[in-house]
Amino acid sequence: MENRVAPLQGACKSYEEDLVLYYYAETGANERATIEQHLEQCLRCRKFVDDLGRVLPQMAPKPELPQMFWNDYFRETVAKLDEQTARQNWWRRWFAPMNGWLVPAFGTVAIAVFALALMLEKGDFKSTTETASVNIPAEVLVDSNQLEFFKSLEILESLSTLEQQDGAQPERKSSHTESERGTRAA
Amino acid sequence: MKTRNLLLVVIGFVLLLESGARAAGDDWRKLNPKEKDKIRRNYERWEKLPPRDKEHLREEWDRWNRMPQDRRDQLKQRFEDHRRGQD
Repeated sequence: MENRVAPLQGACKSYEEDLVLYYYAETGANERATIEQHLEQCLRCRKFVDDLGRVLPQMAPKPELPQMFWNDYFRETVAKLDEQTARQNWWRRWFAPMNGWLVPAFGTVAIAVFALALMLEKGDFKSTTETASVNIPAEVLVDSNQLEFFKSLEILESLSTLEQQDGAQPERKSSHTESERGTRAA
Repeated sequence: MKTRNLLLVVIGFVLLLESGARAAGDDWRKLNPKEKDKIRRNYERWEKLPPRDKEHLREEWDRWNRMPQDRRDQLKQRFEDHRRGQD
């Protein structure tokens, strides 16, 4: 690691503590004079004092950041988050009044309009309105068998007569309808 | 999440109803105007028939459906010839 503190070189044992106090200028005048006198003679102790000047500032606790810094930091972070939220969810803000039941209602109306548009495009709407004017019950209109029955009504009314004319006997003797009788009379 | 699920259910339900209604009316929509008019007239006529005749026609319809296809085609042809002769 780059910030690793190099170990202190040993000073003279009897001066070690005093040298630290000397470094912090916490010694009396007499002690200071004694230490300076010793330092002039002792290379190891001079080196030790130099090392203290290099090492001790690194060991000191980092200064506390002021409260103002944290206040600014908090304000800036909140502002950035607000900005990001506003940029991502502009459509949610737009739809905010439609919270709750309005969203599904809006979706349903949109789909109904879409379906109606499709019907109009294919001409189904015309046939639907036409159906209404026909006055035929819906159960008949949606039943292909019933539609076929009403389409074949005329031939059914004349079925027995046709069979007789064709030289074949009707499968089953049945009563004739009024309309069939009318057909025969004609 | 809850709203989105609800919306999906509503959309699915509407599409289901729409497709059901569309499929149910397909037979009628496929008919041409002439056929529709014929069915309309026959239905109105049918409505005015007495119950006994209605029952008879239903029986004739069942009998008609039981006939072989070639027999039906033959009778249809005869009916058309007969009608053209009347015109």
